[in-house]
Amino acid sequence: MGNIGSTGANNRRRSGSRRSHPPPPPPQPPQPEIAANRYVFAAATPYPPQYPNPNAPSYYQYPGYYPGPPQAMPVPLPAPYDHHHRMDPAAAHAGWVNGRYPCGPMMPPPAPYVEHQKAVTIRNDVNLKKETLRIEPDEDNPGKFLVAFTFDATVAGSITIMFFAKEGEDCCLTPTKESLLPPVTVEFPQGLGQKFKQPSGTGIDFSMFEEAVLSKEGEIDVYPLAVKAEASLQNHNTPTEGSTTAEPGSSNSQITQAVFEKEKGEYHVRVVKQILWVNGMRYELQEIYGIGNSVESDFDGNDPGKECVICLSEPRDTTVLPCRHMCMCSGCAKVLRFQTNRCPICRQPVERLLEIKVSNGAEEES
Amino acid sequence: MATNSNLPRRIIKETQRLLSEPAPGISASPSEENMRYFNVMILGPAQSPYEGGVFKLELFLPEEYPMAPPKVRFLTKIYHPNIDKLGRICLDILKDKWSPALQIRTVLLSIQALLSAPNPDDPLSENIAKHWKSNEVEAVETAKEWTRVYATGA
Repeated sequence: MGNIGSTGANNRRRSGSRRSHPPPPPPQPPQPEIAANRYVFAAATPYPPQYPNPNAPSYYQYPGYYPGPPQAMPVPLPAPYDHHHRMDPAAAHAGWVNGRYPCGPMMPPPAPYVEHQKAVTIRNDVNLKKETLRIEPDEDNPGKFLVAFTFDATVAGSITIMFFAKEGEDCCLTPTKESLLPPVTVEFPQGLGQKFKQPSGTGIDFSMFEEAVLSKEGEIDVYPLAVKAEASLQNHNTPTEGSTTAEPGSSNSQITQAVFEKEKGEYHVRVVKQILWVNGMRYELQEIYGIGNSVESDFDGNDPGKECVICLSEPRDTTVLPCRHMCMCSGCAKVLRFQTNRCPICRQPVERLLEIKVSNGAEEES
Repeated sequence: MATNSNLPRRIIKETQRLLSEPAPGISASPSEENMRYFNVMILGPAQSPYEGGVFKLELFLPEEYPMAPPKVRFLTKIYHPNIDKLGRICLDILKDKWSPALQIRTVLLSIQALLSAPNPDDPLSENIAKHWKSNEVEAVETAKEWTRVYATGA
């Protein structure tokens, strides 16, 4: 956990920085003993410098508050305020006094302490673009529907379509209606923006199931549709923060869980959850509101959609948690937490601030 | 700190944008002596009792701005249940609902909207609010009259 706060600046790495900056010696054992109170910023698709930014920025996602359900992640829940992340106040102030908002003499009583964290980047090799997930009629098999979507893969791997899948320990999926709908696995090569459609004949016939069974999460952890996108193991030699090698037998994957909803007599897919399984850790992906505006190409300092809502000058890089509004620069966020504990956008109480530096190839460690 | 030479970038940017892209029916220009003080004019919204009126306001950005809300006051007399005879405005975003994500522009738009939608249930002027609730037609007539008398040709 020392990578956040006091040692954050040195220890922080981004997905693109591996090549030119060899990782500093880890200040602690490779497998962090606690991961529960660590935010991981999952850039759903990494940005290798040779590619232009291929994704709509909405793919920046970060996992949920707690990385996993109790059975998958037997770790203690985080304390609301992590004392061991407390920043040195002098250091916290050093960067922002110049040119921004020094607190006036009329400072109100300090707001409750809000933790300010820096994001850790983990790598997601395969990303299913969740808004592209849909079902299409199988023309050769009337009555059946095939799952289709678009995905990005920086390594080769395989995609498994599973209906009525139960999620067990370590993100293992088990089909609960295997006799009716056996899972289908299809291999794919590396490549961005690939189109996927499950093989004809393997689709689902909705008339065989009750609407209630299709449209909601069944008993514990059973989803009407699960898509597991797995990276092939041999391509995986990129250690991420705090973990040196992938655990044997557990390749990194992204699982998309969805339900079928009937609307005007037709079924549609709705994604309920996306899960990332990286180096033996389970992360739930969540979207950040406003991040799209902050990562597009270069920041010219004068675009109301990208700038910090407080100073109107710096690019946004700090997300308010738990409401996930990315609306401030880190400097203003540090000032804000002494003034109020409300999110500037929605006024919900702020529990944490998460700083996410997005770098599209340009290497700089500030 | 309050001198014009040491104006935060946010205030400079807001001022530039207010001048280059003014909101419809609203003008705000900073005073030369104090760039934190703005002379504001709001046109009475169409279909409101204030239609046809030009309302002058003053707006001041305190030292703590944007952590603290701007101070805004009507200078033109106005008959409105949420505005008192000193021109003070009862508007939540100017008080406890302030957020630093709000700006001069959004504040003035809110005030313009308040002219379109008087709220006698949260009054600042008890008498006007009572008038509004007991006889809205008559109160609206008074508001129109005041607009004619105080807010036109000024």
